[in-house]
Amino acid sequence: MIVRLLLAALAAGLIAGMAMTPAQYVKTIPLIMQAEAYENGEAGHAHDAAEAGAAHEHAEDSMLGFGRFWDTVLANLVAGAGFALMLAAVALIMGVELPAGREAIMRGLLLGAGAWFCVQLAPSLSLPPAVPGFPYADLGDRQSWWMITVAASAVGLWCLVMRPEWVLKVLGLVIIVAPHLWGSPVPEDLASEVPAYIASAYAAASLATTLFFWLLLGGLLGYFLSRVPEEAAA
Amino acid sequence: MSANTQTLSLTDRIGARTVAGLMALVVGSILVFGVGLANSQTLHDAAHDTRHSYGFPCH
Repeated sequence: MIVRLLLAALAAGLIAGMAMTPAQYVKTIPLIMQAEAYENGEAGHAHDAAEAGAAHEHAEDSMLGFGRFWDTVLANLVAGAGFALMLAAVALIMGVELPAGREAIMRGLLLGAGAWFCVQLAPSLSLPPAVPGFPYADLGDRQSWWMITVAASAVGLWCLVMRPEWVLKVLGLVIIVAPHLWGSPVPEDLASEVPAYIASAYAAASLATTLFFWLLLGGLLGYFLSRVPEEAAA
Repeated sequence: MSANTQTLSLTDRIGARTVAGLMALVVGSILVFGVGLANSQTLHDAAHDTRHSYGFPCH
């Protein structure tokens, strides 16, 4: 049974991860590439050759040898599998019941929406999704703040939604808001070569594509987990 | 049944679903960390577009 639960989660993650690549190529990656052109000084005002050469290049050449597109396909599959296993872990450890049929899909969708809130929406409120060429605060600080915020949002949402006690509901709200009151790392200089239009379009595109991902993942996960028989041997 | 046996496996004590959940949590965390947060130039370059698209802090 354990193996079948893990395989069910993996299957949901790989399908949702596979669907994410075309979604990104429609909405987010064209904006990333446009922003990179500004970052490297190829668009907008001209830099001298030395400065353009010194601009750091990333993802121009594939490190895994498959090319940028296939690197992204692979990364999305791994991300899909990882997020699916973590979401399945939450469902299994919380003991969410998944009765077969429509109800399992509905509960899966709710789980996916909750995960989208914790992993995408909540951190983006103080640390907006950023294209290359943005002004950045220290990477380690941002990663720490991001992880703390995702974890706090998950714990807070659980207190708020899953617990009947009103004290815990209020506490949950406080836990969700706390990282934002504390404040996210903000760069000292907010000026950027990247046009504001690209940046704002990108933030919306990132939230929309990840909402698509998490709802698809949640629905599939609910359905697949509900199909694992209680007494399965493996 | 299990109440009479001397040694109980972890699965007997906390249930197969919880064991599967804990295993999924460990493996899933490693995968997400590798794709989204690991400070390796190779991983960063390969997962670059994915990291940005998911809003992971990057650069």
